[in-house]
This record gives sequence, C-alpha cells and structure tokens, in this order.
Amino acid sequence: MAIRIFFLILLFNFRFRSSLSGQTNSMESVPDLQKSMYMAVDGYPCVRLANLSGEIGCSNPGRDKVVAPIIKYKNNIELAQPSAILLSMDDVQGFFSRISNDSSFARNVGGVLVESGIEIQHKLKGFSPAQKFPQAEFAPYLNKTYEWNPIGSGIMWKSYNFPVFLLSESSTSALQEIAMKNEKAEKAYTTNVAEFDVVMQTTKVGTHDSESCLTEETCLPLGGYSVWSAVPPINNSSSNQSKPIILTVASMDAASFFRDKSLGADSPISGVISLLAAVDALSHVDGLDELNKQLVFLVFTGESWGYLGSRRFLLELDQQSYAVHGLNSTVIQLVMEIGSTGKGLNQGNKNFFAHTKVSSGANEAFDALKLAQESLKSEGVTVSNASSSNPGIPPSSLMAFLRKNSSTSGIVLEDFDTVFANKFYHSHLDDSANINSSSIVAAASLVARTLYVLASDKKDLTSSALRAINVNASLVEELINCMLKCNPGLSCELVSSYIASINTCPSHYVGVVLGEPSSTPSPNQVDDVSRFVWNFLADRTSTPKSTTSVCSEDCGKNGGLCIRAELDGKGVCVISTTRYVPAYSTRLKFDSGTWKVLPPNSSDPMGMLDPVWTESNWNTIGLRVYTIQDAAYDRLVLLGGITVTVFAYLAIVLTRAYITKALKQD
Amino acid sequence: MTVAAGIGYALVALGPSLSLFISVISKKPFLILTLLSSTLVWLISLIILSGIWRAFLPLNSTTWWPFAILIFTSVAFQEGLRLLFWKVYKILEDILDAFADRVSKPRLYLTDKMQIALAGGLGHGVAHAVFFCLSLLTPAFGPATYFVDRCSQIPFFLVSAIIALAFATVHTFSMVIAFNGYAEGNKVDQVFVPSVHLAAGMMTLINFAYGGCVIGIPLLFLMAILTLLHCGRMVWRRLTENQRQGNS
Repeated sequence: MAIRIFFLILLFNFRFRSSLSGQTNSMESVPDLQKSMYMAVDGYPCVRLANLSGEIGCSNPGRDKVVAPIIKYKNNIELAQPSAILLSMDDVQGFFSRISNDSSFARNVGGVLVESGIEIQHKLKGFSPAQKFPQAEFAPYLNKTYEWNPIGSGIMWKSYNFPVFLLSESSTSALQEIAMKNEKAEKAYTTNVAEFDVVMQTTKVGTHDSESCLTEETCLPLGGYSVWSAVPPINNSSSNQSKPIILTVASMDAASFFRDKSLGADSPISGVISLLAAVDALSHVDGLDELNKQLVFLVFTGESWGYLGSRRFLLELDQQSYAVHGLNSTVIQLVMEIGSTGKGLNQGNKNFFAHTKVSSGANEAFDALKLAQESLKSEGVTVSNASSSNPGIPPSSLMAFLRKNSSTSGIVLEDFDTVFANKFYHSHLDDSANINSSSIVAAASLVARTLYVLASDKKDLTSSALRAINVNASLVEELINCMLKCNPGLSCELVSSYIASINTCPSHYVGVVLGEPSSTPSPNQVDDVSRFVWNFLADRTSTPKSTTSVCSEDCGKNGGLCIRAELDGKGVCVISTTRYVPAYSTRLKFDSGTWKVLPPNSSDPMGMLDPVWTESNWNTIGLRVYTIQDAAYDRLVLLGGITVTVFAYLAIVLTRAYITKALKQD
Repeated sequence: MTVAAGIGYALVALGPSLSLFISVISKKPFLILTLLSSTLVWLISLIILSGIWRAFLPLNSTTWWPFAILIFTSVAFQEGLRLLFWKVYKILEDILDAFADRVSKPRLYLTDKMQIALAGGLGHGVAHAVFFCLSLLTPAFGPATYFVDRCSQIPFFLVSAIIALAFATVHTFSMVIAFNGYAEGNKVDQVFVPSVHLAAGMMTLINFAYGGCVIGIPLLFLMAILTLLHCGRMVWRRLTENQRQGNS
C-alpha cells in the first residue's frame, strides 16, 4: 500500500513539473486579494444636467449602485434582464434611437459602456450628439430650422435614467474579452458584471430642474471665467477713452456627451489657438501705441451652454463693473469673431469664410480681410464671403452681440460656408486628428494682418509692415500639443512656465462656478485653461520693461499684474491690461451663499430664452467589473456548510454513545 | 458571493471543529484551557517559522522546490514542538495525578487522557483553519467571487475552506495518535503522525499545476480519512485492552 502511494506521488511529480509555467500575480495580503477580485475600469461618465424645465444627461436611477451583466450590443438583440450594454461607436446612433422607440428594451438597459479606439475613429465618417442647429433659440434671425450641423443627432440633449460611460482604449479591449466570456458562459453559475456608481445628488433629493436644485443646493450652475486683454495696455490715467475699440473674440469651451472628454479641437479651440497666435504675432510689431484704434482680445467660456460668457460680458459692460474697467461699449467699432479654423486646408490652399450681417463696419472689415489675403497670396490663403443662401451668421458669440444691439458691426471667420466642416461637432472625437495646424496658422496670420490694417491709418499702411507680421508656426504646434493632447498635455513646457496645472489631460468643458463669482477670482476658482490664457495674454500684451521685477505689493498700483504667480518664486510684475470676467447666466445671482434664479426681465431678451444650465453634485463616480456567483450557488454553499457541521455533530454524539455503551457492556 | 456564501465557507472549514468543541470540549474547563494553549503554541511556531523564512521571501512561484523546502522545515519544526508539547503534558499529568492522590480522588482515566490529546489536536486544527482560511474570507462576504488561474473549476474560497477542513481533521486526530504513541512507546504511531503531516503538506504542492487541485484535494481528504481511521482503530484497541485489564 505504501509503495502504491509512493508511485502515485512520483507520477504526479512528473506531471506537474512539466506543467508549471506562467506567472501568478503575486498577492501578499488580503487587501491585494480584494483588489484583484474587483477590476477598476477607467472611463469618462455622462452626468446629469438640469435646466429650468427638466433634465438631460445620465445618472443611476436611484441611490444604489447598478450591477448588471455585460453584454455586447448587436442589432435586434433582445434583453432578458437589466444588462450593461457594451456599445461600439457604429451602433451608438441605432442604440439610442431604439431606446427612444422601444420602451421594453429601454427598461432592460442597466448601463451603457461605449468603446473607443483609434481604428474606430478612422472608420467613422461623422458623429455629433449635438442638435442640428445648436442653440437656435438665440439666433438673431427667423429661420431656426436651418441645419448648420446636419449630422447632429441630438442625443446629448435627452435625459436617460441609466449611466453611460466612455471607456478608455485599454479598458475597451479588456471589456470586449469579458463580454465574450459572458457569451460563452463556460461556468454556468458565474457571470461577469459591471457595477456603475453614478449616483447624482439631484436624483437622491428629487430636484429635477434648475430652480429647485439650486435652492436645495444639490447642483451648481455652469460657468467659468472669460479673459480679455488690451493691445496696447490701456492707460488708466488718460481720462479720454476715445479710441475706438476693435474686439477680437473667440470661445474656449466645448461640450460633449461625456463631460471629461470635451476636447473641441476644431470647434472652438482652433479659434482660440488662432487668437493666441495672432496676439503673439502682433506683440512683435513696433508702434502699437500709435495706432488709431484700441485692439482688445476676448476669450469667452460657457458659450456652448447658452452663450454665458458673451451675455455676462455685455451685462458687465452695461453695469461698468470693475472687470471691464477701461472698456466703453459705445466705442466698440467692430466685433471680429474667430470661429473654427482647423479644417480650412483644401488641397494645399487654406480657405476661410467671412460670415456677417451686412453693414458698413462689416464691409470695412471684409475689405481689410481682402488686403490681408493679398499679402498672404503666396501661402494660398483665401477668404470669401459666406453664401447668401445662409439665413445669417452661424452659431457664434456674435449672436449675443447682435441680439443685444442689432446695429453692431460684426464678422465671423470660419472654415466652413453653408454647413459645419466639422463632422464631429461637440463630440469626444473632435480631437487633434480632426484639425490641421497649417490651417490654424493661416487663420491667425489673416486675423493678425487684418487687425493691423483696421487699426492703422490708411496712409501709414505699407505692405512691408504688413509682411512683417508673421505667425509663429511652432507656437501653434505647441499650443495644439498642450491644449488638445494628453501627452504632453497641460504639463507641457509652455503651460507649465505660466501655471501649475491640476490635470495633464486637457478638457474644455466649462465646468461649474465655484464659490462666489468675482472679477478677481482666486486661482482655485478658475480652471487651468482660463488661467493659462490669462497668463499668456498678460505676458504677450505687456509693454516691455527694461527690468522685469519680482511681484510685490506695489505691483498692482501702477497698472501692473503679477503673472507666473503659481510657480516657485513670487512671479513677475508686468504692465498689462488683462482681466478675468465671470461667465455665468444673467438669470442667476449669487446671494448670501446660494444661487437664486431671477425672474425673466424684458430688458434681457436673451435671458428670457436662457435654459439656465446647472450640473448635479455627486459623491463619487466609479465603474468596476467583477465576477459574481448565482444566488442559488451561494445558498448551496451555505447548505453544504450547515450539513457538514450537523453531520459532524451527529457522528461525534453517536461515537461517544457507542463507546460508552460498549465499555459499559464489558 | 454574499453573506450566505461567506458563512457557508466558514462553516465548511470550521463546522466540524465547532461541533467537536460543543459536544466534547466545552463540558470540561480543563479541555478548553488545553485547546487555547495548543492554539497559542501553534501560532507561536508559525511566528518563529515566518521570522526565519522572512529573509528568503518572496519565493519565486514558478518553481516548486523552494516551497517543498519551506513545507519540510515547517512540518519538522512543528513535529518537534509536538514532542515538547508532549513533555510538558507529561509533567502536567504527573502534577494532576499527585494532586488527585492528595485529595483522594481518582487519577486521570485513559478516556480523560485521550480527551486532553483531542483538545490539543483541535487547538492545532482550529489555529490552522483560522490562519489559513478564515483570515482570507473577508472578501468572500462581498459581492464578487474569485477563481485562481490554476484551479479555475472551483472558487478560491471553497478550495481554501475544503483544504482547511482536511487539515483540521488531520491535526485533531494525529495529536491523539501521537500522545498514545509516546505514552506506549509505539514506534509505528510515532512515525505515522509526522509522515502523514508531511505527506498532507506536500500534497498541497499538487495545486501548483493547472487543474491540479482536482487531484490534490481528494488526496488530501484521503490523508484525513486515513488519520481518522487509524485513530479510531488505536482508540478502540486501547479502550478494549484497558477494559480487559481493569476486569482481570
């Protein structure tokens, strides 16, 4: 018997020596075990937003986490139980239309996971969850059904009672494997599930519109800080502000279905990059003080959510608040807006379109553009009037200016004519691959030279002076790398020489207003991109000083500003006019710690149309994937344990009785 | 998994030990003390062993022979400690017998001595189960379950509970056999206990192979049943012998 056991052991020795291969993940403690049981998935959530009449976006349906088995979406799939659907980008359209049409299908959707990947991006011709005419209610003309964005499906403007996540690329492949494992169902009693934690405070408390949620403090209003800067710096001491102002405007906020993946490369960040590059080009020009007009550059935020930046700016101009000190709305001669400029490249030529409402100021601006175009002929840059079949200007901040004062002269420079050239408008796929840096450089050159033409006297204008204004193409490349890519992202050299950024991956979602809005906000109230733009503009528009001094208390006294203040060292004091302007709805007022919705006022017609967007608060947002056993199996194990215990007890009692009986007998 | 499964696994590992405790040990306070002290001794032996082996950790999990050496030295140390435990018990037995003589009460019966050995063994077994299974069981009360690559048919917690049950059985009854072997001077029993302990320990190495747990665990249970049967046979023999001696 012993020999048999010996041979058995020898046999197994040989067997397992050959089959030992592969590394097991080394676990050294129970917390390690716990961590390997639950796989945390990184993804970008879609969150709950509210307006005055209802809600949009996604959230968990209640206070609890949603746990659902992962299933890959196929056309005409039937769901037997609430499931977590793994969706590829091709199927997004079909899926969401099925949700709105088929309520029995929608009931069984526990959560949605959207795949992402480079191959997916190349295959897709276009995707836009925005409306076909974004923010049509603010248009200063009657035709609100014109389709500027024909690809727009409008899915981000609907409300869903299930969580939706966009997966990162690494998570996508992991989850595809898991969905396949679920399908094959090797072990009948286990399933791989996804656990969604997107519990929104507005759902918990039951406040489903902006007014109630702001009163209950379960949400915060959308908004941020716009930045403006004057070239050359406005001299406070001169009392006569009679120089006419040319306002150059761009917007720096994007939107998308997934809040943290709003890049907006073409719409609208390409415009901001063009503006910053144009400021940089003009800063190298001599004799800016002698120009006849004052150039002011303005970068708005919050434009995607009801033109918050531009409306608030116009209100502050009326109120002559400190934020806009030095600007007088009566002397604004022209508003030149730089819209999307990243897709103007067409077979080597860079074509742009000037959208305008006919007026003398606009005509003058268009003539200046043509002059600038002449000087850039060798680079193949053209600018043409937009088609007259357009109902008017495209969705832009100029709409807010025109609604305020319909006689404003304005011109919008865009890379499209009748419909958006951007096939990924307001989607997470509008990234750096969707734009071309040479197109942005061309637009910046156009704008810089046009502004010079407009600001200088006709007789002083020489073509050599015009040709001396050149945009730094490597600056544009660097800005694209910093503002539109994760690597290097906001930790790139250019940005980190001005601010200490919180995040590396840039996101241009406007965010919520933190604390009390003020014209001198503290750095933790302003987001990274706004702080970078402020520092950059302050630096480039500053009058060169013979000595750069370190910041001290008297910096502010002589019209000075403290830039690079977040880095080691106290920062540098420069003479510049660069300020923050709060950007939030004109229908809101921050009063003793809470936000209040003001009643509609006929003197603010755009405020009457404003939906007043707010974003719900939340505790945590997370996504985990793990394996669970069927409840029947769990109960079987419990039964097994109880059986083993009871059986052992009976055996012991019987043995004891037997022994005592047998001993007594003898 | 859930609370139900967690309790189930805990019962699988420690249920029979619990039954033994309630039916036999809890009746006599001295046995409870014996159980607690033997648990402590076993844990101290683990602490000393881990202190010695700390320098060599972590072991490379792709080769099996460092683990074989680990198991061999641990089993050898614990068997040595068992001998020490026996010596201390002998001294205690003499003290108890002397005390019984003084107060004119009967000395320790054979069944008493066997119960003390059983309590000692149970202490070892409970310590093993608590240390190697119960301490890992906290994640089992959560919603997720876990499967190891190399044993993908059975959930990890079930495997560890079953192994703990087998070892608890082996420890409990081999103490009875060992004490009897030392008392009688029976060489077979004296060799049987360390070899079964070593064999059971080495059998867990089979779990290293892919799918090895399907073979390793039944073999482990074979060892446990072997111990149980041998113990039963020995106990029966001793008690009937004693009975005959008492009568004659």
